[in-house]
Amino acid sequence: MQDDQKFWLRTRLGRFVNELEENVIALTLGIMTVLTFVNVVLRYLFNASLIWGLELVLVLFAWLVLLGLSYGVKTTMHLGVDAITNILPDRPRRLTAIIAALACVLYAFLLMKGAWDYWAPFASLDVTSGRWFPTGFTPTRTRAFMETDQVPMPFFLNFLSGLINDGDSYGKLPDVVPYTVLPVAAALLLFRFVQATWRIVTGASISLIASHEAEEALEDLNTSRAEGN
Amino acid sequence: MEVALLFIMIVTLLLIGVPIAVSLGLSSILFLLMYSDTTLGSVAQELFQAMAGHYTLLAIPFFVLASSFMSTGGVATRIIRFSVACVGHLRGGLAIAGVFASMLFAALSGSSPATVVAIGSIVIGAMVKAGYTKEFAAGVICNAGTLGILIPPSIVMVVYASATDVSVGRMFLAGVIPGIMAGTMLMITIYVMARVKKLPAGDWVGWGEVGASFKDASWGLLLIVIIMVGIYGIPGLTGAIFTPTEAAAVAAVYAFIAATFIYRDMGPLKTAAGQPNRALWQQPSALITGFFHRDTRKTLFEAGKLTIMLMFIIANALILKQVLTEQQVPQQVATALLGAGLGPISFLIVVNVILLIGGQFMEPSGLIVIVAPLVFPIALKLGIDPIHLGIIMVVNMEIGMITPPVGLNLFVTSGVAQMPMMAVVRAALPFLAVLFVFLIIITYVPWISTVLPMALMGPEIITN
Repeated sequence: MQDDQKFWLRTRLGRFVNELEENVIALTLGIMTVLTFVNVVLRYLFNASLIWGLELVLVLFAWLVLLGLSYGVKTTMHLGVDAITNILPDRPRRLTAIIAALACVLYAFLLMKGAWDYWAPFASLDVTSGRWFPTGFTPTRTRAFMETDQVPMPFFLNFLSGLINDGDSYGKLPDVVPYTVLPVAAALLLFRFVQATWRIVTGASISLIASHEAEEALEDLNTSRAEGN
Repeated sequence: MEVALLFIMIVTLLLIGVPIAVSLGLSSILFLLMYSDTTLGSVAQELFQAMAGHYTLLAIPFFVLASSFMSTGGVATRIIRFSVACVGHLRGGLAIAGVFASMLFAALSGSSPATVVAIGSIVIGAMVKAGYTKEFAAGVICNAGTLGILIPPSIVMVVYASATDVSVGRMFLAGVIPGIMAGTMLMITIYVMARVKKLPAGDWVGWGEVGASFKDASWGLLLIVIIMVGIYGIPGLTGAIFTPTEAAAVAAVYAFIAATFIYRDMGPLKTAAGQPNRALWQQPSALITGFFHRDTRKTLFEAGKLTIMLMFIIANALILKQVLTEQQVPQQVATALLGAGLGPISFLIVVNVILLIGGQFMEPSGLIVIVAPLVFPIALKLGIDPIHLGIIMVVNMEIGMITPPVGLNLFVTSGVAQMPMMAVVRAALPFLAVLFVFLIIITYVPWISTVLPMALMGPEIITN
């Protein structure tokens, strides 16, 4: 990072979004852990269980990771190999960084189309036509009636039956709810990759990747050392 | 031919600085769009199911969380104190204690870099103060830290088990003897070097200190007992109590309680440095606030971040695995290798070489997802035990972590010890030789890996 302050903490909106993202990550993992733990306790002490516990935890696992991807792009924490790019001179290094960033944008774009196509039938919407590039919409048979195996339907989502399911009420949580994370996460990922590309083009940052998973822990260690001295 | 193109694309993308996960995912997607009928929609589904459809992988966030709570709280310091009390009086005692502490910490955490940061940030400084050279200290910790993925619980083993459908419990048990063996080999090497080089020895502090430091560290070490007893039951009394995934969640909750309410090194009961932490009865409200405290949130968040990082790679590696399976690559590789008259021994050498090269580019868990399905069917045909194969792969990953140019632990150690990368490489070299000898022993003596799971869980039944 060339800036003194992380760019996403500079504006009030940026700080708010950052706080939101960090809280969602922490809270999701917290709920997953507690739910799993509670189910173990229930099984041994009360010979009972939350039958929907595991299914919900697995959905939250997917939510945690997929929603977290864009945060990872924003904070440049995804791992990559920088052994080659580090020894390149300035100009070729910038050029490869831009190509790399464009590859990421392409990835997120294809994922966005895929996410929409997978999710749309569950929301009673049409999938896009075209194999690589969305060229329009194809009428698609709805899958909005499909439900999760065990997760109960919370009352505040009852409006969904009128909205997408021709008024037929749901007995269990419809599949559309967990899958909604896909288009949302893909859109966020696309946005963050475009943003990262722009920052590399304008020279505000130099790369997309972290070289190892403990990079931040080391930074913290060195900061606390610097403060200690 | 097309598959060769796929691999060339992956490596090219990796080298120009595309994140590992995107390199794997983008190459696979482009390949699927060009050479198969698969739609983008099913790729998105695959990505969702990578998490929602893999119960085994669910253990990863929980083990990461348990290890985060343990690293944030002062468990590392306490384990080091106990280790120094036990072996500090030997020649080269502090270095031996560093290895011992790494082994214990590895049993609390599933990752090698985490072990290096936790133990190295304390021990390297202490060793330099006691008169060791910084190079020696860095070399010792850099190698000892790799035990993090061999001594259970281990994230890499969870990934291997998930990729090949072997039992996580078996893999963990299989890692116990090799882990202790590797640690012991490192300690003996240090002891011999210490005698030759006349390295300093500490003073014997007496059984009182051994007992006291053990008592202090025991709340942390109890986590090992919870995980092991949870997965395998009490021998002779009960069967397994939890699945490995549940054991990981229980471990995470226990680690939270130990760090917040027992050690009180984080959370609402922590006080400014130098003062004793508040007792729970002085501030009972901590029972509520502990769950929402800034430190708790931060630890959850850090663990979540690491989970995202690892799972992004694993999920995309799973997409690539799908492509390879669809193209019947494992079968082709198997026919080619078996046709070349490859026996078990030469096959294992090939596996070693592939992993050592691959380990230069890839994060260990991602590499396992890709390589395991390629070599697993061949190994079965050649009569190699799947558990044994898993341990060989893990030990290879360990070595990959400390071989230049891009060994993960080398980076981390160079940061922790604040010395240049090349100096760490040189420092790690003598111990790297030890690990190589260890790899050869592990590769050709399957008994070391398989005896414990065999004895405790009975012979394995392979269904697929």
